[in-house]
Amino acid sequence: MKLLKNNSLSLNQLDGNTARLLTMFVAIFLVASLTKPDMFLSSGNFQSMSKQLVEYGLLSLGVGIAMISGGIDLSVVYIANLSAIVTGMVMKALVLTAVGPELLLFILIAVLAGVLTGFLCGAFNGFLISKLHIPAMLATLGTMQLYMGIAIIISGGSTVSGIPRVFSQLISNSYLFGIPLSFFIYLFVVGFIIFIMSKTKFGMRVFLIGTNARAAAFSGIKINNVLIKTYILSGLLASLAGILSLARLSSAKADFGSSYIMQTILIVVLGGINPNGGYGTIRGIFLATITVQVISSFLNMFPEISNYYRDLIWGVAVIGVLIVNFSANKKTTAKLAKATAN
Amino acid sequence: MNSLTTKKLKKSLVSTEFFVLVLIVLLAVFIEMQSGLFFTNNNLVDLLRSMIVPSIFALCAYLGFISTGPDVSFPLIAALSSYIATQFVVITGFQGSIAIVFLVAIAVGLVLGSINGFIIAKYNFPSLIVTLGTSTIFSGILLGAFEASRMELPATMADFGRQSLLAVTNAKAGIGSSLPMTFLIFVGLYIIVYFVLNHTMAGRGVFAVGGDETSAERAGFNVKLIRFGVFTVSGAIAAIAGVCYTVESLYYLPTEFAGEEMIVIAAVILGGTRLMGGVGTLKGTILGTLLITIVTNSLILVGIPVYWQKFFIGAIIIIGTAISVIQSHNLFKSKKSKDSKGLQNSEVVINETAQKQ
Repeated sequence: MKLLKNNSLSLNQLDGNTARLLTMFVAIFLVASLTKPDMFLSSGNFQSMSKQLVEYGLLSLGVGIAMISGGIDLSVVYIANLSAIVTGMVMKALVLTAVGPELLLFILIAVLAGVLTGFLCGAFNGFLISKLHIPAMLATLGTMQLYMGIAIIISGGSTVSGIPRVFSQLISNSYLFGIPLSFFIYLFVVGFIIFIMSKTKFGMRVFLIGTNARAAAFSGIKINNVLIKTYILSGLLASLAGILSLARLSSAKADFGSSYIMQTILIVVLGGINPNGGYGTIRGIFLATITVQVISSFLNMFPEISNYYRDLIWGVAVIGVLIVNFSANKKTTAKLAKATAN
Repeated sequence: MNSLTTKKLKKSLVSTEFFVLVLIVLLAVFIEMQSGLFFTNNNLVDLLRSMIVPSIFALCAYLGFISTGPDVSFPLIAALSSYIATQFVVITGFQGSIAIVFLVAIAVGLVLGSINGFIIAKYNFPSLIVTLGTSTIFSGILLGAFEASRMELPATMADFGRQSLLAVTNAKAGIGSSLPMTFLIFVGLYIIVYFVLNHTMAGRGVFAVGGDETSAERAGFNVKLIRFGVFTVSGAIAAIAGVCYTVESLYYLPTEFAGEEMIVIAAVILGGTRLMGGVGTLKGTILGTLLITIVTNSLILVGIPVYWQKFFIGAIIIIGTAISVIQSHNLFKSKKSKDSKGLQNSEVVINETAQKQ
């Protein structure tokens, strides 16, 4: 965590958000460890937590990048489902007769097909948002239905299952030092996105466009180009999430995980990304992902709490965090104004 | 160029609605030719019947769009307030007029809507995120705290649902359809909203706030109050839609509401309502709703499998928004768009006006 913390490109107020997040994380972790020590502190719980957070963690990264650019990507969950269905169907079509190394090759082809799906979906989102100037919310609201529709059509509305066991064994059931492989994939992706967003020109441009698109245009940034890349990145992350969920569940369906949309927005907002664009850090999203997973696992330990209450909690959390960040930012601005006045 | 804008604006709106109307006629003729079942009395009454609730919902989405931005919480406001109204009748054994049931729902809707309105107006957060948040909260309250489930309606409400304005029977197929009393509520609401929006200062304020917040403020409108008011009223309208849906289906169905928002938003946008506020007509909203209702109702008549529905709705949202955005983009040039193309266009406008002067 400390390593990640050094990686800052942020303003003062964001450190406040990270500090709040860290405090929240530690507090919830402590409460969970104290109230349910035998259940919460078991290695099994940590394994399942690290498995569960991967999918929506990846989705949140995509939504977060889109939000930093001043937009939003509501279609991520359905891109993930569509990619999972494409991967599953290609795998089923190819793999039935194959054995040995051929099998691995076919699995690779299927995964690539899924990734390509994510790429195309993301590019289409980017096209609608940048070239046709459709506001990101509405464009992705539309493509959300569209991708779900396509997924329903190609899967005939039923669950795609019966994918080769090797695939799910390989990704979902292999552990390194007791930590699932998928979690390592997630960590690697987080590191990669942190690098892209803070160390490359592309990342800087995304921030600039989110802060002030007009100024960005005047400084010679090709906005359409950057935006399309942003949504492609989001689509790729979503397809990765879809493929990992295919491996975890050994099945895929057009309407899996529709509640993830709210959860990803919660994580992104909790992570300190400004919904109007331009501010926020990837490590904030990462911290928020872990925090949400700990809360979620903790709530799971009380079977008497209905699943529906979780919706209530997420909803209250989103709006609460928005308001807290708003007032905190206001305070810092006021302080700055005072400081400059003196 | 300057004198053109208002004319062109009107023209383009007319053309959006006209375009939708043409599409409706073409679709109707196509379905009639394919199945011969479109222009039958029972199909037409069915269409009207299925339009009632989406059209009332469309008012909520429409008000959200012209004043602020997307609102996705109305289905759950409808679900929660009609649940409370139904429970009120069940628990108190209320026997009186159905109007009281509506008033209870409206009261709940006003409260829920004011929560949206308060957060959006006070903090100026994006309305989509706020309403997404509040609708998950409402869903948590409905399904978690109240543990709402499918229930039969008490007699007072069911009787109202069974009354019909108009009943027809298709002689050939022997299928009957009836138009429920809620149709009158739908017509009444549209007349009231039309009157308020077009003939009162508050109504003009709604358009002004959506068109340009700063100008509206300078013109003396209380921007925050108007936004708060719009979302509060929209909550009440959603509640009415919720009760209408409940009495029409003769059961209270808690999970049937969610998801409706997408279709309604698609309808409103198709009707030419501008996404970023300030522009849109009720005529367009009704036409858009009619188009979507025909698509969802009649795909089956032409033999298109139901699972293509999502695809069509998604495609219609995208095409509809694209047309609306391209039109408004050509008209308003750089006003709202933040991108390079908008900038280039605005420069052109500036040059042209400079030349004229």
